[in-house]
Amino acid sequence: MLSTIQFPRSLSRFPLPLRPLQALSSSHRSATTSALTDQSPPSTSPSPSSSSSSSSSQILSIRHSLLSRELTATQVAESYLSRLRLVEPHLNSFLHVSDSVLREAQEIDDKLSRNEDIGPLAGVLVGVKDNICTADMPSTGGSRILENYRPPFDATAVKRVKALGGIVVGKTNLDEFGMGSTTEGSAYKVTSNPWDISRVPGGSSGGSAAAVSARQCAVSLGSDTGGSVRQPASFCGVVGLKPTYGRVSRYGLMAYASSLDVIGCFGSSVADAGILLGAISGHDRLDATSSDRGAPDFTAHFPPADAFGAKPLQGLRVGLIRETLDSGVDHGVTSTVQRAASHLEELGCTVKEVSLPSFSLGLPAYYILASSESSSNLSRYDGVRYGSQAAAEELNSLYGDSRARGFGAEVKMRILMGTYALSAGYYNAYYKRAQQVRTVIRKSFKAALDENDILISPAAPSAAYKIGEKKNDPLAMYAGDIMTVNVNLAGLPALVLPCGFVEGGPAGLPVGLQMIGAAFDEEKLLKVGHIFEQTLQGHRFVPPL
Amino acid sequence: MTRQAHCQTVSLKVLNLNWKSHTPPVDSSSCPLPSLHSTLRRILRNCSTAATGSSLQPPDVPRLAETARISLTPIEVEEFTPKIRQVIDWFGQLQDVELQSVEPALRADTEAYNLREDTPETFENREAMVSGVPSYEEPYIKVPKVLSKE
Repeated sequence: MLSTIQFPRSLSRFPLPLRPLQALSSSHRSATTSALTDQSPPSTSPSPSSSSSSSSSQILSIRHSLLSRELTATQVAESYLSRLRLVEPHLNSFLHVSDSVLREAQEIDDKLSRNEDIGPLAGVLVGVKDNICTADMPSTGGSRILENYRPPFDATAVKRVKALGGIVVGKTNLDEFGMGSTTEGSAYKVTSNPWDISRVPGGSSGGSAAAVSARQCAVSLGSDTGGSVRQPASFCGVVGLKPTYGRVSRYGLMAYASSLDVIGCFGSSVADAGILLGAISGHDRLDATSSDRGAPDFTAHFPPADAFGAKPLQGLRVGLIRETLDSGVDHGVTSTVQRAASHLEELGCTVKEVSLPSFSLGLPAYYILASSESSSNLSRYDGVRYGSQAAAEELNSLYGDSRARGFGAEVKMRILMGTYALSAGYYNAYYKRAQQVRTVIRKSFKAALDENDILISPAAPSAAYKIGEKKNDPLAMYAGDIMTVNVNLAGLPALVLPCGFVEGGPAGLPVGLQMIGAAFDEEKLLKVGHIFEQTLQGHRFVPPL
Repeated sequence: MTRQAHCQTVSLKVLNLNWKSHTPPVDSSSCPLPSLHSTLRRILRNCSTAATGSSLQPPDVPRLAETARISLTPIEVEEFTPKIRQVIDWFGQLQDVELQSVEPALRADTEAYNLREDTPETFENREAMVSGVPSYEEPYIKVPKVLSKE
């Protein structure tokens, strides 16, 4: 019984400050076993046992269970691993599952039995997107050119997770090198959306989003260059957090577009995404673009819902980006986001429409910059120093054949587009213009964020679509990034959290609200997101799988 | 309205996002996203000569593949060329935007540039790096011969 305990989503009243967990666990034990065996789709009416239908932090809940000796790290790990194995054949979220999870959990239990300190992420199972280097596991970038490649180092973000006691449970599936919005671009497998396994989980961090959504791990790391954390978060009904460019070290993140890439966090609650961000943030001398700013301790920012006043967000100025609600966006998405705006007003915000006239230019500018930078970044995969090597008689063929066999179609096309845009004589026409558009967009966001505390929009123009639907149509797929790319161009932080459903699949399809903040203002985003989440009535974001 | 401005306005409208322009949009019907692709095709066919300008040659995929050191099969060339052309045409809409006095931004510029010392450091696990090399013969990384091109 104990070994199959799942931390229930409805464990909402997380006690802060602490009170003994025994009463809490025993009263929920029957609820947890029924939650595990209950495969019926979640109702959209509030669950009877809790007045708030959202959960609070899995990370803090695990920590308290360990410190109070209610559960061991081994029990927690076994519970997640059995869940992982149970649903993995339907989801295919993972490219590699660690074989040392239980050993690492045992080490934590040994520390506890010696009354030693354990880190704030001790016992927390973390999924890591496979374009983030892990020394003891293959890191393929979702590509054949790095098949079986084991990096000689951990990414800084991974090092920090492990230093704080986190357990890397495995490497999650992605579109090859981060290029794509569906995870169908992986060279290995297609990940399914836990809400409807015939649909995409989004991309490129589809595996990381699906794994958290399906409770295969507590939290996960992804990367976001044009929306690759935020859009899958929306499609999978989880929280996705894209930090400010420079907040988290990119050392060990396989570079796609160096001026746009960031490592981001997934959690089933805003608190979890925020705590994970705090764990990995901060200056790193190995990344020259990482900021000198210290990482705030985000743990203290998530009070329980009963600590909120009547209008906890009184005075907050929210700008709803007008250009994101035009026709071309799914009606269901628009109305869900408008309801979210009303919810913010109920919490005391003033919500006004703001216009960002340069908004539509962001998409072509993004693709010019991203494909240009990727053509340069991916030139390192030449089959000579690491990765898969083709047999060849002379050097050019070695390069040409290794890369031809190692790269998938989307990656090849983007490299070729980037090569074109950067060709001699074409810099002014494409790359420089895209850089100029970046300046215009950056300034227009800054102006809007001088007048507003946060900006909001949908995270994607639709909910999850069917696997195969956009596979052969690059422009149709690129069009879906319209909500997210401008934020990368401006380098700003953004939080996506589930705010409602549209029709589709066995239990509806989740829709995410995107909140955009000023540079380095993740604290405000997390505070607002947490309050929004904890007061959102009538929805449980647990997929039917 | 010039043809270029017309194309830009219509293609922006097709992407269904407002653009504050002095000229009224010609196509006032809304385009739901599923038909975005077919509508874009039509507009890009009409726009292609105007948008790409006289000095920009259309992409020569085999030549690009050579530059990028990727050996494409003839089937891949056939498959990729229309898709790449379509996307490059779509990139062309930036030609019509007024950007005369705008500074190009290298990156987000969320911080002032803080340069670090340009001093090399020895990586602590060189053995693991070397063991990842596909073809190695101490102390050389082996590659096949280099043929000079005519």
